[in-house]
Amino acid sequence: MELVKISRYPFLSEAREWVKSRGVSIEEILDDIIYERARRRGVERVRQAIIEGIVRDIPLVNEVDFEMEIYSYAIARMIAVAFENDYVLRRYALAEAKRAYEKMKEDDEETISSILKEFKIEYNDGIHFSDYLRYAPTWDAKWKLVNRELSNGYLKLNKHEIARILQEAISKKIYHELSYMFAPPEVKKIFGDEINLLKNKISFKKEFKKEKNISDFPPCISSVISSINSGRNVPHVARFTLVAFLNEIGMDEKEILALFSKSPDFNEEKALYQIHHITGKISSTVYAVPKCSTISTWGFCFPDEKCRGIFHPVMYYRRKK
Amino acid sequence: MNFLKRKFFSYYLHPKIIFPNRIDRREYAFIPFGGEMRRHLAFASKEKILEYLKNEVPAHAYYSSAYYLHPSAERMDEKKWMGADLIFDLDADHLPNASQMSYEQSLEEVKKEARKLLSFLTDDFGFSENEIEIYFSGSRGYHFHLKNSRILSLGSQERREIVDYVTGRGLIIENVLRERIIPKKELGDKFTDKTIEIDIKPGWKKRFAHALVNFFKEIKAKEKEEAINALIEIGKSRKVAEELYDLLTDERIKRIEEGKIDQATSFKKIIKPLMEKIFISLQSGADEPVTSDIKRLIRLPGSLHGKSGLMVAKVNSIDDFNPLCDAVVFGSEEIEVNVVKPLSIRMMENNFELRGGKEKLPEYLAVFLIARGFATI
Repeated sequence: MELVKISRYPFLSEAREWVKSRGVSIEEILDDIIYERARRRGVERVRQAIIEGIVRDIPLVNEVDFEMEIYSYAIARMIAVAFENDYVLRRYALAEAKRAYEKMKEDDEETISSILKEFKIEYNDGIHFSDYLRYAPTWDAKWKLVNRELSNGYLKLNKHEIARILQEAISKKIYHELSYMFAPPEVKKIFGDEINLLKNKISFKKEFKKEKNISDFPPCISSVISSINSGRNVPHVARFTLVAFLNEIGMDEKEILALFSKSPDFNEEKALYQIHHITGKISSTVYAVPKCSTISTWGFCFPDEKCRGIFHPVMYYRRKK
Repeated sequence: MNFLKRKFFSYYLHPKIIFPNRIDRREYAFIPFGGEMRRHLAFASKEKILEYLKNEVPAHAYYSSAYYLHPSAERMDEKKWMGADLIFDLDADHLPNASQMSYEQSLEEVKKEARKLLSFLTDDFGFSENEIEIYFSGSRGYHFHLKNSRILSLGSQERREIVDYVTGRGLIIENVLRERIIPKKELGDKFTDKTIEIDIKPGWKKRFAHALVNFFKEIKAKEKEEAINALIEIGKSRKVAEELYDLLTDERIKRIEEGKIDQATSFKKIIKPLMEKIFISLQSGADEPVTSDIKRLIRLPGSLHGKSGLMVAKVNSIDDFNPLCDAVVFGSEEIEVNVVKPLSIRMMENNFELRGGKEKLPEYLAVFLIARGFATI
């Protein structure tokens, strides 16, 4: 793979091979003045990941630009790990994956097929349903397997869809790698100020108001909230249930939004749209909170002893109060 | 030892157990007669399992669909999950009219579901026949065990997608049919019109297309009055039904086969309820929680079901399988039992009309009735 491609997809094993072959030590990258540009770009990657949810492009012209770009990815990873915060890891991994998605949408077939190979995804005129299920955002109705054209184990995808599948694979890979990584102690020293600044940005995000006592919530709702708080991506039906529930007990849009902002793929515009849709601002229908039996079939009913005799989550909350 | 247990013991002296693969990686569980489930058991070999069955004579025997590093660990998180077979459970109890059906009727109904499921698994999911093992549950259903390396590591959410596919849950029917604006040119008219087309693409779309064509072909093959009644049942209107019947020329049926429904109003009026009816006929009734549970206990093939005395038998062909014959393990020596209430049943190719009270019955029927609570000894 050429340098340009490696700089586009620095998470591939070929990129790692390339870095190894250059023989530059971690100390040099962290300390030597000639890598200052890479370090600044590394900080920028993490900053954009946390604030914007995607790593943005910078113009790359010559070979030095490409090299710096590749090293900046290695640096950004160390910085992300230095946060020692699972939410940051997930959000950073997703932001890098989203950047790759934008690139892959435009890239040639040969490159895409080499990336597919890296993730051991076989693609011959179609993708096997087992690979599809591992990576497709099936919480979205149009991605649900039942709505796809499945034949003899395989289904066809267009270029954008393949890129979306790979985005998920990349995000999972990066997150997985980072969660087993330790940052060298120098990283915290060198990037300490930037890390603290960004940490403040995260904690300054509005906290969930404690007036509505979370401990009074039924276990299904609490489980969704704790998933969101730990930065896990929550399936659509669970978000729907949560919003309908919070709306029902009288929480306002801003409070609900603050809660959702913890989600790794948080997108304010999309989240507001969903909230408005469920609470009846756009759709003119106020969606009802699903019954316990429905939540149970959706797979996030974790009843406790107080659920006995309860068939609706709101009933649990009201009774407890 | 009570009668049933004695009979089970005689079977477990030489049982026809079909052992799962990776025997030592599975968890086993048993329910003794009149006792609570004992689980978290592990066995190193077939011989050890046979020994347990002979010594303990359980009423029910299970093994885990999952493979574990430590199958006998008491806590699920300590077992260390390594993967699991894909399981489907079809049970007559989950059919819409289950309570009104006799045992034999319900067995027939659930067979239909099994055929549908099999076609989804082979045609759409591409599993080969030898990767799909079908077992009679010993009661009123069938279990499908799928053994394929690609699906071993799939998680709960991914498996739920698979069972949603076969049951049609979450299907957007509107996507199957699409409305197309016919341009003026094609109509040779000054107006444009909308037509409904069916996308003949693989998966559910293809199933809908076939079912639609078959429906109209069947209507056409019927006597006029019968055909119109069938159409009224769907469209709820005699006028629409009559119009539609007159429109069903050979040429139109051919157009439908090509995916072009028609722009006639009567078609438009009937298409939505018709699609919904077809949808219900196409979905297969697999039980969702069983498939998405990656740590499920399932009945051990070749063991006996304590509430029927029937064997969890391997099904080689759904069409030919007759549970009340092929899952019977006991002989025909006569035994006197007390039949609780009158009933008629066909078992081992013999018809029995039982009036209730004391009767001399073949052992296989006696075991079945006692296990199901229809007779005492």
